[in-house]
Amino acid sequence: MITAQDKILHVASKLGLTSLKDMQASTGAVYDCDTDLSGQIFSSASRHQNPGITNLTDNQFEVNEALLVENIAFYVRASNGNAVNFQLNYGSNAVIVFDLIIGNKRVLKDTPVFASGSPYTFANVANIAGVVVEDNVQFYIPRNQVYMEGAGILIPPQIQWYVDYRIFNVVTGAPIAAGSNTVIGCYLFGTKVLLNFNTSI
Amino acid sequence: MSQVSKLSFVDGKLGAPTSGQQTTRILFNTIEAPGTTSSLSFFKSFQGLTNGQTNLTQNKLDSMESMVIKTVMLTQYSTDGVLQTFGGLVQQTMSIIVGNQTVVKNLPIHFNQGVNGQGYDRLHENAGCGTDFAVSTSALIQIVQPLEIRLVTDIVIPPQVAFEVRIESNAAVYGTGAVVCALSGYGKIFSAGNSF
Repeated sequence: MITAQDKILHVASKLGLTSLKDMQASTGAVYDCDTDLSGQIFSSASRHQNPGITNLTDNQFEVNEALLVENIAFYVRASNGNAVNFQLNYGSNAVIVFDLIIGNKRVLKDTPVFASGSPYTFANVANIAGVVVEDNVQFYIPRNQVYMEGAGILIPPQIQWYVDYRIFNVVTGAPIAAGSNTVIGCYLFGTKVLLNFNTSI
Repeated sequence: MSQVSKLSFVDGKLGAPTSGQQTTRILFNTIEAPGTTSSLSFFKSFQGLTNGQTNLTQNKLDSMESMVIKTVMLTQYSTDGVLQTFGGLVQQTMSIIVGNQTVVKNLPIHFNQGVNGQGYDRLHENAGCGTDFAVSTSALIQIVQPLEIRLVTDIVIPPQVAFEVRIESNAAVYGTGAVVCALSGYGKIFSAGNSF
């Protein structure tokens, strides 16, 4: 089985990134929100508050930094800055259909994330809300994620990426407009490579 | 590479001692009354802290000790000891600096707590947390879980190298109680063997 590190080194080798193997391995995630309601996430990261809305200064990594995306999740950023659940704001019948574009290539195509919980994410029924004094579970808080087990996708250094998304009502098929107080956010999580100068400077 | 192999590999590269008692190591540090701030630095100040608030006396391991960080846990308490969500639910990032190198950079931490339900993995999400819980003012009832993140790449803290955990936000509210950071993983501690 190929590991995350193996995949990073394989892709880096194919791209001619010979020094990536000498960098610092780490854990990383990038996140941003579609505050413009444009249907794109990460493409406007440079204009967003950091870290209140995004942890990026641009939608590309600097030299010798990369991220192997192993988990993609969607959430809602409320007007008070809280990261809250997508289903709690848009309903169980909402579905996000998204593409991940790296450079000029679409690497995830028309991928659905169901508000009610996506495949492969409900193994432990996600979070549960309830009342302490009562026995019954009040409601579930589903995961709105895509796990990319064994097939992570590498975002190489200095290549722009973004997520293109639409929201639909899965019952009627009608599009759902995102609200300005419930903007859609997305994070990409996985194995990260950080720039490590060693003795270069 | 397993955590045992990684620690031996890094210690070997650095010329650090590779002998010693293998063990599970958990380091923790407390900041009292952090208030509302955009930056918290754990493992930077030990002044005035008791053994119940930190298990280190300086921000580095002893000369014969090293460890691998597997998980990071962050907790926030009110003045009367009630566990709270760390910095509320606003967006925050964490960096780990070892020596003069950032080994974890701006990792968002808020997804692993609260009602967003988007924890990075299934074992370390904040289960059982919801706004509909009865609000507790007693430390005897816990309505949230500590924030915990499992790292997918092992991070090594070598002997006698200063380290720091830094949390950044846009003026998150940490209250007047205390916040605690714990680093958990595999490590080596000094073992004299039959030297003495």
